Amino acid sequence: MTPRVAPGEDPRDTGVSVDPSGAGGGGSRALTGVGEGVVATLALVPSVFVYGTVFGGLAVQAGLRSVEVWGMSLLVFAGAAQFVAVPMLAAGASPLAIIVTTYVVNMRHYLMAATLAPSFHHFPRGWLALVAHLLNDESFAVAVARRTPPDPWVYIGSAVAVSGSFLAGVLVGTRLGGLVADPARWGLDFAFPAVFLALVVVQLRHRVDWLIALASAVLSTGVALALAGNWHIVIAGVIVSGFAALILTPEPA
Amino acid sequence: MRTDVWLVIGGMALVTYLTRAPLLLVLARRPLPPRVALWLRLIPLAVLPALALPLILVERGRLVASLGHPPLWGAVVVVALAARRVNLFVTVAAAVATVALLRALG
Repeated sequence: MTPRVAPGEDPRDTGVSVDPSGAGGGGSRALTGVGEGVVATLALVPSVFVYGTVFGGLAVQAGLRSVEVWGMSLLVFAGAAQFVAVPMLAAGASPLAIIVTTYVVNMRHYLMAATLAPSFHHFPRGWLALVAHLLNDESFAVAVARRTPPDPWVYIGSAVAVSGSFLAGVLVGTRLGGLVADPARWGLDFAFPAVFLALVVVQLRHRVDWLIALASAVLSTGVALALAGNWHIVIAGVIVSGFAALILTPEPA
Repeated sequence: MRTDVWLVIGGMALVTYLTRAPLLLVLARRPLPPRVALWLRLIPLAVLPALALPLILVERGRLVASLGHPPLWGAVVVVALAARRVNLFVTVAAAVATVALLRALG
């Protein structure tokens, strides 16, 4: 047994470590987890799909060919970065500027990958390489909020639902243009912060949880006001969790 | 085939993968010191509000915290329902509907 997680404070938290045989497929825990991940992500599927169509439609209007839009969505698979890159491409920005911007917008993945990694310790490397590519904010949020430590299969189920609905949306969008001209009018843009916020709320069990969440809310909002380009997620995420980990005692009883 | 566009897409794909794969591959393989494990356990509590709050409170680099800002009321709906452990789908649907309604009225 590795000391990879502090003992859970919640009795539901026990017994969710990965079964070594589960990674090879066939485990019913794998199937249950994937199903749970898909169901937990359903609240986001309509918005992810609609934003996929918006991206596909915008990218084609900006002058990209459909096959380029599909290629980008499959190979990069990072909605925020893609929305930033397309107007830059259309405006003839330098390739280096586009690639560096993409990197900065996606740096938050380091935090999410580090958090999820211990849950995947029995998975073969090939699986990890594939699972890594599907890393996204929404599935990270779903996986960490459902179980402590996060269940790898719940994460995979959620990642399949998110990537499937995004790519389906992109496919439709490049063909028909964005299905909804202004998703914000229907409140669909709010589905993303709504899910993130709801998943914070269900994790607040102790006073220290509240303090961490509040500190991060304030710091990230402050940084977002000062710096464009998604820096606030990495900065608030590292500083607040790092500071808390330094002053708290590991493995609280 | 536009080589320049594909080169940009390839570069974007590469740097994005470099943000996703290395830590997942490396940290999945070794036991972590307790304090690092504690840090990883606290990251979600710090990352989730950092994802959520700026999307609600910051618009085009400006703080929008007025009562006439629909996302603020959407956030109130989310917190009220999520604190009562209402199903995530229902919570999000109610919040989206609230924001859409307020935007239609505004």
